[in-house]
Amino acid sequence: MTDKPLDAVTETALVSAEPIVVDPEVERRRRRVRITVALVILVLVALLPFYRSLGAYNYVLQIGVSIFAWIALASSWNILGGYTGYISLGHNVFYGVGAYVSALLLIHLGISPFLSAALAGLVALALGLLAGLVTFRTQGPSFIISTIALLFIVLVWFDAWSLTGGSNGLSLPLPPFSREWLRVPFYYAMLLAALAAVFLGHRVQHSKFGLALRAIGADQVKAEVAGINTRLFKVLAFALSAFIPGVVGAIFAYSISYVRPTIFFLIAVGARMVLMTIIGGRGTVAGPVIGATLIILLNEASLTYFGATELNLVITGALLVIVLLFFPAGIVGSLRERGKLPAFLDWD
Amino acid sequence: MTQAIQVVILGTLLGGVYALMASGLTILFGVMRVVNISHAAFIILGAFFTFFLWESTGLDPLLGMLVALPVFFIFGAVLYRALFPRVEGSPRFSEMTVLLTFGLAFMTEGLMTYFFTGIFRQTAPSYRVEAFEFGSFYVPTAQFYALLASVVLLVCLWAFLTYTHTGYGVRATMQNRMAAQIVGVDVRRVSTISFGIGMALAGAAGALVSFLFPFFPARHWQWIAILLSLIVLGGLGSLKGAVIGAIGLAVISAFVSRYIGPVWSPMVFYGALFIILLVRPQGLFGHQARV
Repeated sequence: MTDKPLDAVTETALVSAEPIVVDPEVERRRRRVRITVALVILVLVALLPFYRSLGAYNYVLQIGVSIFAWIALASSWNILGGYTGYISLGHNVFYGVGAYVSALLLIHLGISPFLSAALAGLVALALGLLAGLVTFRTQGPSFIISTIALLFIVLVWFDAWSLTGGSNGLSLPLPPFSREWLRVPFYYAMLLAALAAVFLGHRVQHSKFGLALRAIGADQVKAEVAGINTRLFKVLAFALSAFIPGVVGAIFAYSISYVRPTIFFLIAVGARMVLMTIIGGRGTVAGPVIGATLIILLNEASLTYFGATELNLVITGALLVIVLLFFPAGIVGSLRERGKLPAFLDWD
Repeated sequence: MTQAIQVVILGTLLGGVYALMASGLTILFGVMRVVNISHAAFIILGAFFTFFLWESTGLDPLLGMLVALPVFFIFGAVLYRALFPRVEGSPRFSEMTVLLTFGLAFMTEGLMTYFFTGIFRQTAPSYRVEAFEFGSFYVPTAQFYALLASVVLLVCLWAFLTYTHTGYGVRATMQNRMAAQIVGVDVRRVSTISFGIGMALAGAAGALVSFLFPFFPARHWQWIAILLSLIVLGGLGSLKGAVIGAIGLAVISAFVSRYIGPVWSPMVFYGALFIILLVRPQGLFGHQARV
């Protein structure tokens, strides 16, 4: 998109077929650094729940759950919005639908959301496929608007549907864990979801599929001429980016023990995925991870210091405006443009 | 039958106001390819402006509208000059403006909630609760005045676009930005004026909203979703499409509200958008999109 290296890659691949020259020795060293850093962070994060004497143990774990959930959501959004440049402002539809599918299965059939999460993801994926087939009949601003309309259709529908408890929502049976360790299963489940999303993003980045998506993002006409079935790839990207939000919704609903339309289907929820990805750097693997972590920590800090949610809205909006005006490539993209990207963030 | 005609009357009255709300958005998209997600937030700001004017001086909201027009025009022109030239050259300019105005919408909503709180407000001029009666039909006075004001403003807009020199420039820019520039239209100036006009229309619509509906800051999402559906439905940038779509759908949604339930009435706008995307992706009066 606006990201110069991405354009360069696509152009090279599509037009001149010239290999990109990198010094293999430098590349090997950077690879070693980033794998080491990632493993160290992963081990620390995975061991955190064992550190029982930590002050505010449950609070810290809850923030962990939040961060992992949003890493998963932002990374999924990035598959569509980051690579193809098609911006979905209604992506929380899939997150919410996943939550409701698992909640209903738990209430009516007693199936644990940890088991039904995959099914919730598949339902979200199917819905993404359908939504993609309709919304991709258009492009640019009309596409964005149709994703907003999709969100509002689902909001109006769930607000009025008796099966989903209308605007009051549904209460879920409490999870059968001891109070003391209540957060721990959710912590690991969400960590797995986040890892899966980042892994998926990495796979997409380094596959022909991802190259096709980036080609669409750079220039759809050229991509079409180069023999890419752009419509098919866009619909597939939409469906793929809907899957993990469904899974995350299922786990998140269980962790808070209730579902309500205003938790999942507010436009601010979808906006957050967009904001995180753009701040971190769209079209990069590390961008959504950095963006999600920063925004959640910032959010917690602002809640602690200001307490008011309306100032949170102002901060969210102002951040989006500032980043778009001054660093449209986001943190990772801007650092790369200046050639200062540290090795541990360079997963592209 | 009588009841059905009554529903049509009420739907048309509301549709006229929707048309005014949507016209500002359409001008902005037509001239600058800017999709202004914050339009409805500024409509609410206009409603607050009129409300506080009414509360402090007792000025009638319809006269308040005349004050709101120039104030919001200047506000719009300044906002345009401050934000948009920075992103003008970027590829995918329209998508960029969606995100930028999305951020603006959050800021405006947050600031309004912070300063004015989230409670419901409404101006209460004497005609708010009155109605004209013709035989077995009635026309609520407030909605009739609002429709009248919308028609006057839309006619002024049309006359401006058709008969003034600047209006020619605006229409030329809508047709082809680069060609307009080549034949000597000052596109930057035209864009600033258009943004001012779009914002002035939002302020005016806000003045009407202030006595038609109870309003609060977070209400704007609901409206912008309806308005955006309307302008895509009519064909992005087509003023005629927006007006016809607004009135037609307002009538249908009045029927849905009356016979199925008021919760479902916004669904008409979103549903219509999806149907039109399946049948005619460029919208009712739009041209085939250039890729």
